[in-house]
Amino acid sequence: MSEVSSNYFVAAATIAAKLDYATKVAQRLSLTASNARALTLRAGQSAAGFRPLTDAIHRLSDITVSSSKKINAIAAVLSRMAVEKYRADSALKYFDAVYSQAKGSRHLASLSDVYARTKVKQKDLMVQYQQKIQQLTQELEAVEGELRSAVVLKVLCQIEASQAGLAYQDALNNVAENVESIAETIKEQIVFSRQQVAILQ
Amino acid sequence: MKAEKLYENNEHTWIVFGRDVDKPDAIIDTNQYMITSKNNALLMDPGGIELFSSMLSAVIKEVPAHKITHLFASHQDPDIISSLGLWDLALTDATLHSPWLWEGFIRHFGMQHIEYDGIPDEGGRLALDDVSLEFIPAHYLHSSGNFNVYDPKAKILMSGDIGAALEGPDAPMFVDDFDAHVGKMKMFHQRWMPSNRAKNDWVRRVRELDIDMMCPQHGRIFKGNDVKRFLDWFEGLEVGLTMGRL
Repeated sequence: MSEVSSNYFVAAATIAAKLDYATKVAQRLSLTASNARALTLRAGQSAAGFRPLTDAIHRLSDITVSSSKKINAIAAVLSRMAVEKYRADSALKYFDAVYSQAKGSRHLASLSDVYARTKVKQKDLMVQYQQKIQQLTQELEAVEGELRSAVVLKVLCQIEASQAGLAYQDALNNVAENVESIAETIKEQIVFSRQQVAILQ
Repeated sequence: MKAEKLYENNEHTWIVFGRDVDKPDAIIDTNQYMITSKNNALLMDPGGIELFSSMLSAVIKEVPAHKITHLFASHQDPDIISSLGLWDLALTDATLHSPWLWEGFIRHFGMQHIEYDGIPDEGGRLALDDVSLEFIPAHYLHSSGNFNVYDPKAKILMSGDIGAALEGPDAPMFVDDFDAHVGKMKMFHQRWMPSNRAKNDWVRRVRELDIDMMCPQHGRIFKGNDVKRFLDWFEGLEVGLTMGRL
């Protein structure tokens, strides 16, 4: 896993990239669910207990894909806002330097409006930025909560696999392993993103 | 950042800004120019991000910020206009005049408020209150879309990179010994200017103008007979050379 970035607009872009990856991984979960469904159909009565679990895998996949997409979109907006905020912050820094370098200049006051306008813009951006971070945090927490159910789902899948016909046990166990490993990969992206959010605040 | 008045009459003033002793050593020294008229001011080749604070500090010693209504960028280089994103926040109502060819590129520097007025290849004019200025084509000198600014009243040509010399920030503002100055210009023109044909076209065009002062973006300003000396020297110079580096 790459190092946590110490620069806030790089952090926002990193979250967007991580969640984009998480979306792609979550789509694999959907494929796993479809494969599991096909498998249970072929297995018939010998894997009847597994069938409702495929619905749960599908549900987990749908939630994860849509949450990841949503978080990715928020992170992309945050990334743009972070760059805009950086521009406003740095403009104010340059203007501050002008105030100190041009002290006593007869037209220095002509900068007041520009300074005030940039300051307002910076403040507005800050408010919107904080709101977005809050939204991002809530979404990350929500998807992390959903992913916790993957462990239970895996155990249930293993139990049902053990009761299925011998011919299908390995394949069904494989589904169980897939669910856990995909959920774990997504969780890694979420945990890393939550660390990055700390930099954004 | 030093500021020096080059010309003044009832209608307008020319000022050069440069020789910034506070600039970081590794960046090339640049000259920025400003024309002020009754209600407006035009900043020409306003410079890079690194110079922005010094430049704005120097400018507002002369005019209020809101009087700067026009910017001119001779071409797209960072030492010419990479400060655009900051001017965009500093100016309330301004237009950037620059080659049409570079619009999509220059906008990468950040431009949400300033308007872009693309200068057509054949050149154009700008009225600054009662002052009429001409954009003179200087394509391929060195950029493929490139202009100079000519003021027929003041008889000043802002020549961008043409006439540039590589010198330190302690160099005098004006050429005082043309022959000695040639050594500081030669490599710059041979390496950065790619086309003998474009160069000679420009020399022919500029010979028709009445010029008292030729003001490059780097190095020293040419006055009086040194303008003609420069045109003769430049016409005879072979450009587009890699100086044996290959």
